[in-house]
Amino acid sequence: MKILVAVKRVVDYNVNIRVKADGSAVETANVKMAMNPFDEVAVEKALRLKEAGLAEEIIAVSIGPDKSQETLRTALAMGADRGVHVRTDIETEPLAVAKVLKAVVEKEGPQLVLLGKQAIDDDCNQTAQMLSALLGWSQGTFASKLEITDGTAEVVREVDAGLEKISIKMPAVVSVDLRLNEPRYASLPNIMKAKKKPIDQYTPEDLGVDVTPRVKTLKVEEPPKRSAGVIVDSVAALVDKLRNEAKVIS
Amino acid sequence: MKTHARVVVIGGGVVGVSTLYHLTKKGWSDVALVEKADLTHGSTWHAAGLLPLFNMSYSVGQLHKYSVDLYKALEAETGQDVGFHVTGNLRLATNKERMDEYHKYCGTANTIGVPFQMITPSEIEELWPLCETKGLVGALYHPDDGHIAPADVTMAMAKGARNGGADIYRHTEVTAIECRPSGEWLVKTNKGDITCEHVVSATGSWARQVAGMVGLDIPVIAVEHQYIVTDEIPELLERKKAGLPEMPVLRESDASYYLREERQGLILGPYEKGAKAWAVDGVPKGFGQELLPGDIDRLEPHIEAAINRVPIFAKAGIKDCINGPIPYTPDGNPIVGPAWGLKNFWLNDGHSFGITAAGGAGWQLAEWIVEGEPGIDMLGVDPQRYGGYANKQYAKLKNEEAYEHVFIIHYPDEERPAARPVKTSPCHERLDARGAVWGQRYGWERPNWFAPKGVERKDDWSFRRSKYWEHVGNECKMTRERATIIDITSFAKHEVSGPGAEAYLDRMVARKLPKRVGRVSLSHALTPSGGVRSEFTVTRLGLNQFYLVSSGAAERYDNDLLVKQLPDDGSVTLTNLTTSYGVLVLVGPRSRDILSKVTDADLSNEAFPWLTGQQIHVGVAPTLALRVNFVGELGWELHHPIEYQNHIFDTLMTAGEEYGIGLCGMRAMDSLRIEKSYRMWGQDLTIEYSVFEAGLDRFIHLDKGDFVGRDALVKQKQEGVPQRFITLEVDVDEADPLGNEPIYQGETLVGRATAGAYGHVIKKSLALAYVKPETANVGTALEIEILGKRHRATVIEESPWDPENKRLRA
Repeated sequence: MKILVAVKRVVDYNVNIRVKADGSAVETANVKMAMNPFDEVAVEKALRLKEAGLAEEIIAVSIGPDKSQETLRTALAMGADRGVHVRTDIETEPLAVAKVLKAVVEKEGPQLVLLGKQAIDDDCNQTAQMLSALLGWSQGTFASKLEITDGTAEVVREVDAGLEKISIKMPAVVSVDLRLNEPRYASLPNIMKAKKKPIDQYTPEDLGVDVTPRVKTLKVEEPPKRSAGVIVDSVAALVDKLRNEAKVIS
Repeated sequence: MKTHARVVVIGGGVVGVSTLYHLTKKGWSDVALVEKADLTHGSTWHAAGLLPLFNMSYSVGQLHKYSVDLYKALEAETGQDVGFHVTGNLRLATNKERMDEYHKYCGTANTIGVPFQMITPSEIEELWPLCETKGLVGALYHPDDGHIAPADVTMAMAKGARNGGADIYRHTEVTAIECRPSGEWLVKTNKGDITCEHVVSATGSWARQVAGMVGLDIPVIAVEHQYIVTDEIPELLERKKAGLPEMPVLRESDASYYLREERQGLILGPYEKGAKAWAVDGVPKGFGQELLPGDIDRLEPHIEAAINRVPIFAKAGIKDCINGPIPYTPDGNPIVGPAWGLKNFWLNDGHSFGITAAGGAGWQLAEWIVEGEPGIDMLGVDPQRYGGYANKQYAKLKNEEAYEHVFIIHYPDEERPAARPVKTSPCHERLDARGAVWGQRYGWERPNWFAPKGVERKDDWSFRRSKYWEHVGNECKMTRERATIIDITSFAKHEVSGPGAEAYLDRMVARKLPKRVGRVSLSHALTPSGGVRSEFTVTRLGLNQFYLVSSGAAERYDNDLLVKQLPDDGSVTLTNLTTSYGVLVLVGPRSRDILSKVTDADLSNEAFPWLTGQQIHVGVAPTLALRVNFVGELGWELHHPIEYQNHIFDTLMTAGEEYGIGLCGMRAMDSLRIEKSYRMWGQDLTIEYSVFEAGLDRFIHLDKGDFVGRDALVKQKQEGVPQRFITLEVDVDEADPLGNEPIYQGETLVGRATAGAYGHVIKKSLALAYVKPETANVGTALEIEILGKRHRATVIEESPWDPENKRLRA
């Protein structure tokens, strides 16, 4: 079995986000970037399936500008076998991403596509669902557990009500949640070796996909700054403030 | 927020907070700090927290030592844990040259009182059992330092400062700094304005921007520094389980990296080639607690070396690669002290080892602000050690070089190549054509020595006698036997004139001014405690006109002294002639014969005695000839409008041919002056030693009326000097003293050498030193430690060459 893992390059989760002066977007120039943390969990799951003898090859795919190759190298350093880079400078939307991934799936022929449940930059949480629909495959979203046996996948989903266990037919698209595993860190020798692993390059045009955005960003704003708190001198004063000022208790 | 404060410190990193803390320790409680974001933002928060005591500089070494001692005591004082891990630190050596460097450092460490040990490979293995010792020849071990939590140490000092009455205003961004007519400063912020007496900039990567608000161009630009943080490593978990201590911080200087434990994992920090200057044109708006994209590729050679040295590193998972900006300066040392040209504006910037230096830098800057002078010699970090050439372009090139050079072997005679040439004398090409091997000081290219035909024009730096030693020796002999030209165009030159000139200068220097027109005298400007701040050769050109010559490296430093003392009434005019006048020194016993051929002036002893000056013509060039020099021979310094330099040079070389005229470089000049026990400003003469300790009594007139430092000198005269300046003859084989060597009597440290050289003409190795008075008598047998070995050193009479000064009066 081949596994395709989609990985996205995003602003590192430790970085304080700054909005560009013109309010058009979030500043990404000379800002520390990293692999979307949910995607790291997806890569880790793929590696564990391979280590368990359930997969032969792991292909990491990333869509974005040249620098997206760095994110692919991270996946390769963790242990993915090769990479696919779909090069575009356009900020792609979930439907475009799903279409590109569909085209890659058709080229590579995996049985399983693993993705993070959402990217921490745009928080869309749509790609996996769209991809499964486009492919006509089963879908298991928000997986905190995934087991594969004889053409079926057992997925434990994290839903608002608790945990939901489903069984779906392969091939499948599975989006993963944080509790599925704790991703490994690559070692330095593996980081070095990853530089020699192959990355195939395409453009969306090569794959026959139009990635032109359909949504227009009007304005990006920083959230309002929190004003400084006050220290109250007694529990009674705190209760009074909570009741009468904040009105959060009655 | 306050509207008035005595001091406003700008910048809430570890350096600014330390400055604030130390101001309160000096009893100044009406002080405030403004920080545009939160404390530690910028560079402090992502620093690796290392506290290396190691530093080749006598100034910086003392700052580091103070910091380590302070940080150990902070928790007891403030109740705030600072996360000090006293692991010690190990610097590995893989070759003899590196061991020489460590031994040279050990001499300085001994004079400062920093404890260390030189250890063998098997001792390394005991301290660092997971280190592969193959290829190591030894290591330098500091048992008392280690690493600390940078944010915690900042918070502890912030708490200490608040306890001392200081105010800290966060989210308060400085928008402008203005000087009021009253001389006070107005610091404008987005939260209101504060009027204050003093302003301190401790603004890290923002230093150029903040200094720019008051018109200063300072060469502080950050360079990206990366370190790699690993996941837990089984072997380190085992050690922890077994109750074993954390291993020392490991530095493999020859592979240019540091490595330390962090939560049972490792941190690796390489100083690699190709690290980039960051935010050269200004820090992006809103940048605070942020990191930059990492680039592991450029760290690869260091990573491989670290894996070979510490094999467990290969197995470790890489958690993160932290890339953050760290402020740098062209020479890698911080900028601590007064800004030039502005009263009460202070800089505490350019700290690349900010966590280690912050304690000491805050301590000394607070001393300086409150007492008017620092307690230790701060020349090595003085903001005024750079001139106007040290702008953005210069800083970008040099700061990247300084970063790359962090771990190179710092030879005492090293010359760094980036951003050169900057300033050249007109005769540069002529000297170059005659084999000059160039050095650089204060941006000026100066010939260190001249390679004779057939000898490679290349320095061979060493802690011992180098390949150029023989050629320097020949220049010395030529100077003493025949005559040479020395280009000292780089020297700082000022003219002081006007009706108030005499009174103004008289208040500044400790010696009576020359009375007669044409007289030359060596004079010193002192600090309030009697130390040597500046040294001037003062020539009286007219009733109200004086010509001042001082060290080339002190152009801005001396100019600032002269500018800040100027009376407000316009009675004194100060002109900086440094770059409009050149200086060629014609020196040696045949110099009179040569100069006589090309001037109509009478050069006889009667008409032109020692320590006088006259306007003469050399060929067609109008020249101020001063009969003084720094090597102790018959000779004339020829000060001339710079456009005549090549004419003078050619005229002298042609006239001197029949007398075997030659050229003399800076290294020969140093040897020659040490044969005369002449003190070099900045090296032998610093603020740490009074003029009496320096044995300059004959240049001091306590009875002349008040001058800066007089009270302290009167007191010292009564109480006796704590140290005395001596000349030592040293028994050595192939490593001469160079300065900063400790001097012992038996096992007791009695002083330190400030300079040394082989006297090529008297054929003796010499050192100049300060020692306790009871060990300063001629004939006293002492010992000097050179590169880890003790050598016999005997106190001799001053000026072993021509003690009666017959030659220079000839």
